[in-house]
Amino acid sequence: MKGTNLFLKIFTILVFLFLYSPIIVMVVFSFNESKSIGVFTNFSLRWYEKVINNPEVWKALFNSFWVGAVVTIVSLILGLMMAMAVTRYSFSGKSILESLILIPVIIPEIAEALSLLIMYIFLNIPLGPVTVIIGHVAFCISYVTIVMRARMAGYDRSIEEAARTLGANEFQTFFKITLPTLYPAILAAGLLAFTLSFDDLIKTLFTTGPGFKTLPLVVWSSAARGGVSPELNSLSSFALSISFLFAVFRLRVERRLER
Amino acid sequence: MSDVFSVELENIVKRFGNVVAVDHVNLKIRENEFFSLLGPSGCGKTTTLRIIAGLEEPDEGVVRIYGEDVTDVPTHKRNIGMVFQHLALFPHMNVFENIAFGLKMRKVQKEEIKKRVKEILEIVKLEGLEYRRVNQLSGGQQQRVALARALVIEPEVLLLDEPLGALDLKIRQHMMVELKNIQRKVKTTFIYVTHDQTEAMTMSDRIAIMKDGKIQQVGTPLEIYYRPSNTFVASFIGEAVNLIEGEVVENGLVDTSLGTIHCAGSLTKGRVAVMVRPEMVEIGDKLYNVDNLFRGTVQSIIFKGSYIEYRVDVEGNTFVIHKHGSAELGRLHHLGDIVEIGWKKNSSIIIPI
Ligand SMILES: Nc1ncnc2c1ncn2[C@@H]1O[C@H](COP(=O)(O)OP(=O)(O)OP(=O)(O)O)[C@@H](O)[C@H]1O
Ligand SMILES: [Mg+2]
Repeated sequence: MKGTNLFLKIFTILVFLFLYSPIIVMVVFSFNESKSIGVFTNFSLRWYEKVINNPEVWKALFNSFWVGAVVTIVSLILGLMMAMAVTRYSFSGKSILESLILIPVIIPEIAEALSLLIMYIFLNIPLGPVTVIIGHVAFCISYVTIVMRARMAGYDRSIEEAARTLGANEFQTFFKITLPTLYPAILAAGLLAFTLSFDDLIKTLFTTGPGFKTLPLVVWSSAARGGVSPELNSLSSFALSISFLFAVFRLRVERRLER
Repeated sequence: MSDVFSVELENIVKRFGNVVAVDHVNLKIRENEFFSLLGPSGCGKTTTLRIIAGLEEPDEGVVRIYGEDVTDVPTHKRNIGMVFQHLALFPHMNVFENIAFGLKMRKVQKEEIKKRVKEILEIVKLEGLEYRRVNQLSGGQQQRVALARALVIEPEVLLLDEPLGALDLKIRQHMMVELKNIQRKVKTTFIYVTHDQTEAMTMSDRIAIMKDGKIQQVGTPLEIYYRPSNTFVASFIGEAVNLIEGEVVENGLVDTSLGTIHCAGSLTKGRVAVMVRPEMVEIGDKLYNVDNLFRGTVQSIIFKGSYIEYRVDVEGNTFVIHKHGSAELGRLHHLGDIVEIGWKKNSSIIIPI
């Protein structure tokens, strides 16, 4: 028994090393003074200084945030409506709709991105923040619907009926009873949508217009321009830490909601 | 008794696919009455209640509240209160907010709301728990919150759907008495749905017995118990019943396989069942002063606390007999004893079949 235990421990450590060593290397070398990637010479924040003094980075960060916010709100509204429709009503074509909603989760993002781009060109829609947002919403809505549907499956509708007997009309019931009691699900789905939008590269790359960049796009174009460099290391670490903070926040919220 | 009807149902029909959940129900419920709908599971009690509340739309028929046709009035505009089977308290609100909800919807002033919530909390004995979260209350307390929430809006009718179902026996018995007291205090019509005859018998002014979506009988607990209008009601109500089939030969005389049975007079003719309640049957070695007398063998004896239940076989028919009183303990009958059983003619009721 003891042997198995030790074996499991070592195995787990190896898996984690495999998963995280690239990230660790990247973060460590972002503090390297030397311009070379190979050898660590001295601890330094000079590459971070460069990143922080780069207005393009701040602009992209700002873009990422507001695009994420708009995407979250739009996909929450649409996803909530979709989830309510499939959990509460029966209508013809419901099962087809329920499968269709899963498609963005299953198909390769590049195919989705390319088809979106083709559609935009076909319809002659100028590329820019709006097309990026539409692109993000198109897949975030699926995730939102899936999360909401799971949480709404066991929803006890008698509290809505109770509100109706107490004199609340449909609107009052929705805003004072349904929405507040669905709040954990809405929060979880919203945080997920924001994270997905914030981290997205491929769709943004395909659907953005000239001059409009999100943070992952800046990282990407910097890599495409100058190859792997210490500056890129610190830029990626910077983007990583924001996503990381966000993920931690999301997990904490979800854990609190589950209790 | 008031002649004003708080709720009237006229020929109500409700179908779910092939199931007829409510089948031509007619009811007139009086003002300030404690009225119960009693019947086995699936007989359509909840559906009937939901139709009164407007949560379910009848396929046919008319619903009236205080004479006004409300069949097409939406739930939130009917002045009713409802206590749900699983209470349906608002989980994101505390006790005060739960109870105040209906008043807020009616745009009652803040001060007035406080006052009325306080009053109702006193009536349901929940003072001091205003700011508790509802999931931190015991089952009995949650029950009272649900009741207070429905009562505080001073509804014209209070609908209750098996509100005591989830409570354990002791609290349930306590709440039965309490509910009846509250009903007297607030002077509102209570329509109470249950499948538990003890609850219905304990609290109701009148009871409607339902089966398969149809009303079988409406009457006071006494009427329902002693004058059931059919054999379903006779066997559904009470712990046990003795039913003997036969043919009316003359007013009050029924010919059965056990011979002629003397009954209370009845207008019913033809094939009937004779009903005798177990506590009406006497048992002994030698009986006098009975109109119907049979000899049989003691099949089983069960001690039930305040009474003893005998089962006696008379020519292949089993009679259930409840014998009360501890004084009788010295004269217990034994398994296999040949005994006499009998009853007065007024104790046997003729029921049409
Ligand atoms: N929404 C519904 N859809 C389909 N059938 C239903 C629906 N509601 C009730 N029924 C059916 O109608 C019949 C009556 O149901 P109802 O809930 O009124 O019974 P009940 O007397 O309240 O039973 P219980 O004591 O079990 O609560 C049942 O056969 C039930 O299956
Ligand atoms: Mg029911």
